[in-house]
Amino acid sequence: MTRRTGGLGYLLLAPAALWLVLFFVVPFYSLVATSLFDPAGSDFRGYEMTYHWQNYTDAVQEYWRPMLRSLWYGALATFFCLILGYVLAYAIAFKAGRWKNLMLVLVIAPFFTSFLVRTLSWKLILADDGWIVDTLQTLHLLGEDGRLLVTPFAVVMGLTYNFLPFMVLPLYASIDKIDHRLIEAAGDLYANPVVGFFKVTWPLSLPGVISGTLLTFIPASGDYINAQLLGGPNQRMVGGVIQSLFTDANDYPTAAALSVIMMVGIVAMVLVYVRRAGTEELL
Amino acid sequence: MSQVAETSGAPAAPAPDASYDGLRLRNLTKSFGAFTAVDDLDLDVPRGSFFALLGPSGCGKTTTLRMVAGLETPTSGSITLAGQDITYAKPYKRPVNTVFQSYALFPHLDIHENVAFGLKRRKAKEVDAQVKEMLDLVELGVQARKRPTQLSGGQQQRVALARALINKPEVLLLDEPLGALDLKLRRSMQIELKRIQVDVGLTFIHVTHDQEEAMTMADTVAVMNQGVIEQMGSPADLYENPRSTFVANFLGQSNLIEGRITNRAADLVTVDMQGIGVSIPADRAHADGDMGWVGIRPEKVLIGEPGATLDAPGNTIPGGVISDVSFVGVSTQYLVRMPWGQEIQVFAQNTGRTRLFAQGESVELSWRPEYAFLLDHAQDATAGAQKDDA
Amino acid sequence: MPSESSGRRGGVSRRTLLKGGGVVAFGGLSLAALQLPFFEVQGAQQDPKLCTAPDVSAEEMQLIISNWPGYIDPRKNPNGTFQTFQTQTGITVAYSDDVNDNAEFYAKVRNQLGACEPIDRDMIMLTDWMAARMIGLGWIQPLDKANVPNLHANLIEPLRGRQWDLDLEFHAPWQSGLTGIAYNAGKTGEVRSFEELITREDLKGRITLLSEMRDTMAFMLRIVGANPDKFTDAEWENAIDRLQQVVSAGQVRAFTGNEYMQDLAAGNIVACEAWSGDVIQLQLDNPDIKFVVPEEGLSLWSDNMIVPNLATHQANAEQWINYYYDPAVAAKLAAWVNYICPVEGAREEMEKIDPSLAENPLIFPDEEMLASTFDFMPLDDQQQVRYEGDWSDVTGG
Repeated sequence: MTRRTGGLGYLLLAPAALWLVLFFVVPFYSLVATSLFDPAGSDFRGYEMTYHWQNYTDAVQEYWRPMLRSLWYGALATFFCLILGYVLAYAIAFKAGRWKNLMLVLVIAPFFTSFLVRTLSWKLILADDGWIVDTLQTLHLLGEDGRLLVTPFAVVMGLTYNFLPFMVLPLYASIDKIDHRLIEAAGDLYANPVVGFFKVTWPLSLPGVISGTLLTFIPASGDYINAQLLGGPNQRMVGGVIQSLFTDANDYPTAAALSVIMMVGIVAMVLVYVRRAGTEELL
Repeated sequence: MSQVAETSGAPAAPAPDASYDGLRLRNLTKSFGAFTAVDDLDLDVPRGSFFALLGPSGCGKTTTLRMVAGLETPTSGSITLAGQDITYAKPYKRPVNTVFQSYALFPHLDIHENVAFGLKRRKAKEVDAQVKEMLDLVELGVQARKRPTQLSGGQQQRVALARALINKPEVLLLDEPLGALDLKLRRSMQIELKRIQVDVGLTFIHVTHDQEEAMTMADTVAVMNQGVIEQMGSPADLYENPRSTFVANFLGQSNLIEGRITNRAADLVTVDMQGIGVSIPADRAHADGDMGWVGIRPEKVLIGEPGATLDAPGNTIPGGVISDVSFVGVSTQYLVRMPWGQEIQVFAQNTGRTRLFAQGESVELSWRPEYAFLLDHAQDATAGAQKDDA
Repeated sequence: MPSESSGRRGGVSRRTLLKGGGVVAFGGLSLAALQLPFFEVQGAQQDPKLCTAPDVSAEEMQLIISNWPGYIDPRKNPNGTFQTFQTQTGITVAYSDDVNDNAEFYAKVRNQLGACEPIDRDMIMLTDWMAARMIGLGWIQPLDKANVPNLHANLIEPLRGRQWDLDLEFHAPWQSGLTGIAYNAGKTGEVRSFEELITREDLKGRITLLSEMRDTMAFMLRIVGANPDKFTDAEWENAIDRLQQVVSAGQVRAFTGNEYMQDLAAGNIVACEAWSGDVIQLQLDNPDIKFVVPEEGLSLWSDNMIVPNLATHQANAEQWINYYYDPAVAAKLAAWVNYICPVEGAREEMEKIDPSLAENPLIFPDEEMLASTFDFMPLDDQQQVRYEGDWSDVTGG
């Protein structure tokens, strides 16, 4: 009996394991291998494995700036997503009543159009001659020569906009599960609404906060479309660098090394973050 | 309908609020759209009493409780506590704590932290010592570092109680606190709660739909139905002298027999009950008009062979036939079909002085007049009879 | 102007779509890596003499072409060049506009061509440097000179004798263009030189440069006094450092593909490095948009028809080339796509179609204009990786 369930268990695990091997282990293995190729190689002469660890130090030396910028922009976007997403998810979970489902659909609605098209339309909205910039200039919130496009603001805003649903949905799932009576109980026990929020609602929504921030931060710091469309050369993120090293410069070893560094770096940060947040169950 | 609890001997007349140190509700109304959950309610709960609000689900008792706790805002009316108007005070500013039906323990905090929650919010001193003392009182000292989900239902209930009690509120509200427990645990928790209330001397308001629970624990019981209080008084008073068919049926069981009032004397009302004259003390007659319901509790009905001398010097009703017998040990429950077709319930104590009757035997019933009561004929004789034994 | 012709380089997302190509290339690289014991990747160089397929042109009257979007007159028009070719020759052409970007296309075909496997195309159209690179990799079949007499007879002089294919052995220019400066005369004064473009204070943050390394670096090399046709590593360093300063100073708003068209139209930028054909398009909507031949000179480039290894309809491809080098056909095409027509004699034919276009120097540049053109030195594989790497360091912040 136990034997049979064991066998069945492995059988059920097989598709997931196969998926993981095929789409994660193999490419990652190959990525690491590529990152150690002799950088003197090229498409003409091929690449030799020379365990050239220097690719890593070279990549860091050359591209530490866009790497840090990616993490910084990703963190900023995650922060703004968290603020906006929390308010939104809270409102949907507790205040939307019968509009709940409609509002959830509206949160996901942007997904029905292409990521590129959405980001490009922000380019039009924030254009230097657009009404937003005009209005801000009229209100003297922006100088005569001021602009929104090609600024860190535009890039972070684009990231925030594009990844907001990734924050809202897990937050909603978490907040919606909170027993409203617990919040009443907090009020009953002398916690004013603000204290009650931080002592009860916030800690109970932490699983959503953590998965939401991860789901936002990881793709946001790896994204380069927003930086490319809404930013300028001084806002390029590491994704864009990897992309152009791969396709334009065909410098595969450096591109691979950069990818591995970002990947390992983000995994390490996530581990520390999750451990400090005290929810290892998530991993 | 205005009723005042009689336990503390407080004057029944509405006194100026400032001089009343208990909880006072006046003209309290709560409507949800077209539905009126609580209708013009007046209620005084004396300080230090164990007060039960009893009624079927949907009668407005929980809404009343939530208004006292500040979790609902009254549509109109006022709530004063020890002379302070708290009608619109925020819940976190009221000296009132609640033991919630579902306990509402904070799942992310351990037992100690749950109990300490209220004290910490009020920046109390020596929180840990107080919590420890409180946990000992509810016999959960060793569980202090466990999470609520690791405790049994009864233990969780005690944590909820401790979490509220530790704040020494003016009024402790208990919203069906024992509803989720099994029968045996419920019995022992009832005794426990009563003990604690006596120990700490706080005002307890206990909301329940379980009449036995209400009567076991409370000094005063208010029976609520459809947003108004039907009757209020000590458990014995409510049971022995119900003023409405709802109370008569909701608290225990009653036989209600239609009758015509033939004479109203100063101390006695005479009723022609299906051709048999019965008399009822005037202070137990709550019927206006010509007709009424003669009420008698099943255990007050005596049963005997036709013609036998019964212990009751009062009303004797002949011509019954046993239609059902169930022997439950301490007593025997009979259903007796009367000549006018009604079935009367009779509980005969198993004292050994009378023999058991069998189905189909002819019997005679009787009861002492002072046990009977007379209710208004306009009321539904079956009101409150559908016992939901949830 | 119908939308089909709204730009040689197609959709706005041409550079942003590179990701797909990168992933494909990388996936191929991964598998290749796994097959080899020590994760070596073999060189992609092939010998076009060995990597051939039998030509079945005679039996199968077919031709498979990949081109840039909007780079031909309407194919459904029965009198258009495309339908006429099919009727005249009896060849059925499977034409797809799936070339969006040189690098992306390279990534797409790299694994097959690098391993001498067919890419199921008889003709592809790529820009000079990429054509040169593929020829250098041995991925391109030589054309039979006897089959393309029009090419040898009619190609305009400035496009002959390119270092990477001196005798037109492998390639035939499809359309050419100029890289220069476009500016909005309604918003800024005339921009005469590239130097002005990258230094003028009033243009700060309001210009874009092209993200094609050779387009922009040719001018940068000129600015530091080097010759793009032949420069040293030191000169390259100078040029790239200069660009770095310009970028750091915030002069350049973005490095773009032809998204600069939207930015210029939307007023986000007032001047930019631009391709001539795009500017003609923009001028139709906004006459204030001007194209300038920078004082540094003119960069003339072509997109070229080349026949990849293992193509099975080479003879049909050569018929196509020969057909489009007929001046009358070339004029018809140029009237539609608005780029520089590489065919001698087409100008006279254009007089019959639309005299105003015949006068347009951006379609038929005069001798004097073309005298100042320069080319970009062919790069070997090491230079390619290094220079492109330097380039993305600067443009990638």
